[in-house]
Amino acid sequence: MMLEDELTVSTRERDGVAIIDLVGDVTTFAEEKINTAYREVTNNGARFVLLNFRQNDYINSAGIAILIGIVTEVNRNSQRLAVSGLSQHFQKIFRMVGLAQYAEIYQDEEEAIVGFKRVA
Amino acid sequence: MSDETPQHDPLEKVIELRLPSKLGYERVAMDTASSLARRMGFAADRIESLKTAISEAVTNAMEHGNQQDAAMKVVVLLTAREDELIVSVADQGRKPLDQDCTTGSPKIEDALERDDKGGWGIWLIRELMDEVEFTTAPSGGNQVRMVIHLEQ
Repeated sequence: MMLEDELTVSTRERDGVAIIDLVGDVTTFAEEKINTAYREVTNNGARFVLLNFRQNDYINSAGIAILIGIVTEVNRNSQRLAVSGLSQHFQKIFRMVGLAQYAEIYQDEEEAIVGFKRVA
Repeated sequence: MSDETPQHDPLEKVIELRLPSKLGYERVAMDTASSLARRMGFAADRIESLKTAISEAVTNAMEHGNQQDAAMKVVVLLTAREDELIVSVADQGRKPLDQDCTTGSPKIEDALERDDKGGWGIWLIRELMDEVEFTTAPSGGNQVRMVIHLEQ
């Protein structure tokens, strides 16, 4: 029974924004995949990083801890971070935890790209 | 004179799950609770809160209380009453829960500075559920009892 690895991570670039697509669940098993993708876009010189969530019906506190780790790196590397595609529930959780202070929350990728252009 | 036998509400329904302490199995508890809550008439956003709270309680029990020993069980009791759902999560208590961590409010500013960015689980449970109580189970393990009210 596969209960562990339920996340697919991939990266792409659009209009100067490095997009990390996260399809599936963000739990403790996601750490290496997310950190690897972040390092990859950072090594390629990304200034704007978008975590684009899709079909994430499960993000737990271990997943939140991974994302706080990304915020730490983003601050250190003077990048800008945004998130998109979160369900209403996880938008609420991100606000509760305080992640929203460090990563603008957009409804979808299109809105995030426009948002990044505004601050670029 | 009081009757010593517990009197069960005839409308009360109890579901019991015994999960191995292996990360991933908390999803079985989340799915079961979600399905029950939907049938009870809970709104979608409340069901999402319930799922998050159960996931945190069960993963805590697996990782902390049972120290990820897959042979040790996490027992989840779902009690459906007419106006509320009670969820009790108990581990076999290798490691007792530090009472301090059941009351604190973590701050992201602190987490950004720490190597360990975690510690959000119990706080999330308290924020998302209507009633939360941490106790020691009769067997000696940790037990968390959470209640979510059905708003009419």
